Amino acid sequence: MSRAEPLAVQPTDAALIAAWLGGDEQAAAELVRRHARALAGFLAAAGAPEADLDDLVQETLIRAFRSLARFRGQCQFRTWLLAIGGNALKDAARRAKSRGGSQVLPLEEELQAQGGDPHEDAVAGETERRLKDGLQGLSPMQREVFLLRAQQGMDYDDIAQALGTTPGAARVHYHHAVKRLKEIVR
Amino acid sequence: MNLGDRDDLDDARLRELAQRLGARAADTLDVERTAAAVLERLREAPARRRMPIWLPIAAGLVLLLGAGVVWRATHRAPAPAVAAAGYDLKTLSPDQLRQLLQVIDQPLDVDSVTADDTTWDDLTAPELRHLLAVLEG
Repeated sequence: MSRAEPLAVQPTDAALIAAWLGGDEQAAAELVRRHARALAGFLAAAGAPEADLDDLVQETLIRAFRSLARFRGQCQFRTWLLAIGGNALKDAARRAKSRGGSQVLPLEEELQAQGGDPHEDAVAGETERRLKDGLQGLSPMQREVFLLRAQQGMDYDDIAQALGTTPGAARVHYHHAVKRLKEIVR
Repeated sequence: MNLGDRDDLDDARLRELAQRLGARAADTLDVERTAAAVLERLREAPARRRMPIWLPIAAGLVLLLGAGVVWRATHRAPAPAVAAAGYDLKTLSPDQLRQLLQVIDQPLDVDSVTADDTTWDDLTAPELRHLLAVLEG
């Protein structure tokens, strides 16, 4: 009987954070590998222009690493990171507005190709477009709570900690967002 | 299908749609390039150490007071020697009495306060502007 290979133990986010704070650059790189795609998806859904997405992802990660010493594990690292991403996106929108750009960031122009039946793809694309329009019509708090909950699967306690609100308030924001989005997407 | 089922279906569909949103952007992100770029930027400009909020304020006050002392030292006229209070005038010679009268006849130098007495309230607007100019280089 052959012995099974021992599973490689993945370090936790907390262990990687501690290692980074101790000067281990590879720990930071691993945290980026784990969370950068989720961050990009969150930012894109929240309205980040595709052309600015790379910059926004980097900006968010740099802000996060620079303030990691103040992260006390009050919520998941990813939730905390996405909340920082939401702030970076708002700052970028403010900068764009002060430069005379539009207040609402442009939506991602090219919708995701679904693959398969062209008619179904077109319907799905239209539905996504409406959802994105609907998200832009929400308040920033409603939008962030909705995406953290529906897209990222975070629980209300985590969301509340990351956004500086209460779980009850987060729940209310989510339900308001869902109610409005259902009217738009239906 | 009752209304509750319909709502559940809508919720599930909404979650699915939300998960698809941004998925392409996430898939096209070059994670290794992002990691390298982030590390490089962190190396270029490491986070500044956080200092207590009172430290720059205290440093600014010390600088202002120091500059005030220097300014007064360079602008104050030398104060004449004044006879100590309670000095017996009968012991003074006529020349000493004349000298004392000259001193008393001079207008009071209101600027002749000691450095220890210097406070913000003692500085006039031009003095404050001068200090600011000195501090700002």
